[in-house]
Amino acid sequence: MEGEEDYGVSEEEEYFYADDGDSLDGLADNDDSALQWAPPKVSATKVITKESLLAAQREDLRRVMELLSLKEHHARTLLIHYRWDVEKLLAVLVEKGKSCLFTEAGVTVVENLDDDMPLTSSSTITCDICIEDASGDNATRMECGHCFCNDCWTEHFIIKINEGQSRRIQCMAHRCSAICDEAIVRNLVSRRHPDLAEKFDRFLLESYIEDNKMVKWCPSTPHCGNAIRVEEDEFCEVECSCGLQFCFSCLSEAHSPCSCLMWERWSKKCHDESETVNWITVHTKPCPKCHKPVEKNGGCNLVSCICGQSFCWVCGGATGRDHTWSRITGHSCGRYKEDREKQTERAKRDLYRYMHYHNRFKAHTDSFKLESKLKESILDKVSIAEERELRLKDFSWVTNGLNRLFRSRRVLSYSYPFAFYMFGEEFFKDEMTDEEREIKKNLFEDQQQQLESNVEKLSMFLEEPFQQFNQDKVMEIRMHVINVSVIIDKLCQKMYECIESDLLGSLHLGTHHIAPYKSKGIERASELSSCRNTKLGSTDEYLPCGGTLECDRPSGSGSSDDSGCSYRKRAKKEGGGFFDLNLPAEIVDRN
Amino acid sequence: MIDFARVQKELQECSRDVEASGIKVAPKSDNLGRLTGTIPGPVGTPYEGGTFQIDITLPDGYPFEPPKMQFATKVWHPNISSQSGAICLDILKDQWSPALTLKTALLSVQALLSTPEPGDPQDAVVAQQYLRDYQTFVGTARYWTETFAKTSSLGVEEKVQKLVEMGFPEALARSALESVGGDENLALEKLCSG
Repeated sequence: MEGEEDYGVSEEEEYFYADDGDSLDGLADNDDSALQWAPPKVSATKVITKESLLAAQREDLRRVMELLSLKEHHARTLLIHYRWDVEKLLAVLVEKGKSCLFTEAGVTVVENLDDDMPLTSSSTITCDICIEDASGDNATRMECGHCFCNDCWTEHFIIKINEGQSRRIQCMAHRCSAICDEAIVRNLVSRRHPDLAEKFDRFLLESYIEDNKMVKWCPSTPHCGNAIRVEEDEFCEVECSCGLQFCFSCLSEAHSPCSCLMWERWSKKCHDESETVNWITVHTKPCPKCHKPVEKNGGCNLVSCICGQSFCWVCGGATGRDHTWSRITGHSCGRYKEDREKQTERAKRDLYRYMHYHNRFKAHTDSFKLESKLKESILDKVSIAEERELRLKDFSWVTNGLNRLFRSRRVLSYSYPFAFYMFGEEFFKDEMTDEEREIKKNLFEDQQQQLESNVEKLSMFLEEPFQQFNQDKVMEIRMHVINVSVIIDKLCQKMYECIESDLLGSLHLGTHHIAPYKSKGIERASELSSCRNTKLGSTDEYLPCGGTLECDRPSGSGSSDDSGCSYRKRAKKEGGGFFDLNLPAEIVDRN
Repeated sequence: MIDFARVQKELQECSRDVEASGIKVAPKSDNLGRLTGTIPGPVGTPYEGGTFQIDITLPDGYPFEPPKMQFATKVWHPNISSQSGAICLDILKDQWSPALTLKTALLSVQALLSTPEPGDPQDAVVAQQYLRDYQTFVGTARYWTETFAKTSSLGVEEKVQKLVEMGFPEALARSALESVGGDENLALEKLCSG
């Protein structure tokens, strides 16, 4: 078992690769995948730009259109209703049947087009809305069969679009839930308000982002205009093409191994310094006159504020200057004193606990910022070293080591707020006994410590002036950096596994999820090509996507460890089988 | 803009079968945007025999937006506020359809009087009473109908006289009576509230 190995301390382990010079090159070749920092070429996570928004939803639309032999606007109405969850839509289809699926979403598919009252320019109808006669070419019959004049339809559409209901404009007839054909809406509205028709189109397209839990706007400010689509798991961290890294689930900065809830609470806590406020409320009393908080620095219970007002420390009431201690003995508020002491004690303990975790969190965050600045100077050292006539030409180990350092530094700093909440009473007071808590805390802190010492070691090695060293010394540094990097990667992975299965995994409350650990850093979303024209190409891309996901998982450890790390706690999607249904249509398409 | 042509037609249509439905709609002034609807209390309910006035305000988007309706006559009903007269009815909100008219909306309000829905109350006090003590509810509703929804047999002059005797100036009493459509209780309330 991996768990029994001790990465940080064992010398043997650390110099495992350094036995002889020949193994060096072999190492670099063999462990290329583990050490190279290049992100996977095709990421399952996609950036959706304004231009590729249509292409992004085409796949879903096409699947639904082909499966149910529908027109595009019907497929869109269905997908909007089922929030772009094709699997859910198909499940309803299987469970309740086609007609129920359609009715619930407000789709009316006209089976026989021979209307009982075809609209021609010569025929006239009376519009039930304006109660005026309209000629056939000035009226429109919706697919549900209801017919009104174009002026009334237009008015209705404009009001609905302005109300923000573009995605579900219902027919005007009473109790008719049919959704109006988007082409008719577009056509009629653009005659009067071309701008509004454009807005309508935009709203329809953006439904794919707004109504879809697998797609979210990038939270960058100023907004980059992109949205991010993930596959499979919404608890993940992504990097938008604009460079912003964020937690897909809560849209704040990438914060694993903290859960979203912990991170939200932590940033709020740090932000309003509620602990300081706590301390003030416990240790001071407001002056009855100027209301400034006054701290008692000893002496009797007659305190005087800097504004000159005297008051009784025990009950907080204003007193005169001639007030003496003897005159307030036996004061009735005295009997609460014991409680107050306990309260003080508790507030002090909570504050110290918070300070402990906060100081460490901040120290690592600060180191991270400083190290990011160091990046430039280290890269300069690389170019100097490259100029020199060394046997070693490849300095990618420096950048790889740097990336490993940044990544693990972040993990380390976020592990402190995690520990603060994991072993505190705020979330999990009744989830474990004090004994269990203590054992788990020790287990976690051991791991944290190992990681911490190795991260510092890596930082130290990278800061060495290796550009001035001789050949052997450079090789030695390289060895250290590579070894420590591998160790750190494994430690991070182990820490995430421990959190997923031993800490959060053992809880009854299933509200805390963490983004899985990605050995190669936060996944950068790849561009979705907007010129994907053939239907064939788009399905082909589906399969490699799954493949990339696989090889993106931490390599080197057993597959059982992998699933334990990131997917064990969450139900796997079981919709894969549905995709086969698509096959016949695909083959038809090919021919 | 309100489609006044349609409102005109609705009014004509409504006055045509006022005998059958008992439902009246009349503009408050020259402006067709504010109207008063009148519905008879449904037979077989505590509201029987009462005549209920409903204030109607048409929004600019009428008929594509629902008309705003609220009871001017005080009424004791789980889905109508006993304080403000606000009505809790789906077709006056998200279930409105431009194909509905003032008359059909008022018919729905009348139907609401016969079939209260205490599960979706506007007035929690009334709804609780309806659910816990139906007999008392019926009693209160009937009393309110008697008190507020029955047109008094007194003529206008007598009503004015009555209010003057209570100590209000005659001109004020007259205008108050006019503004509430001749209901002396409402006029009194208006005068008292200033």
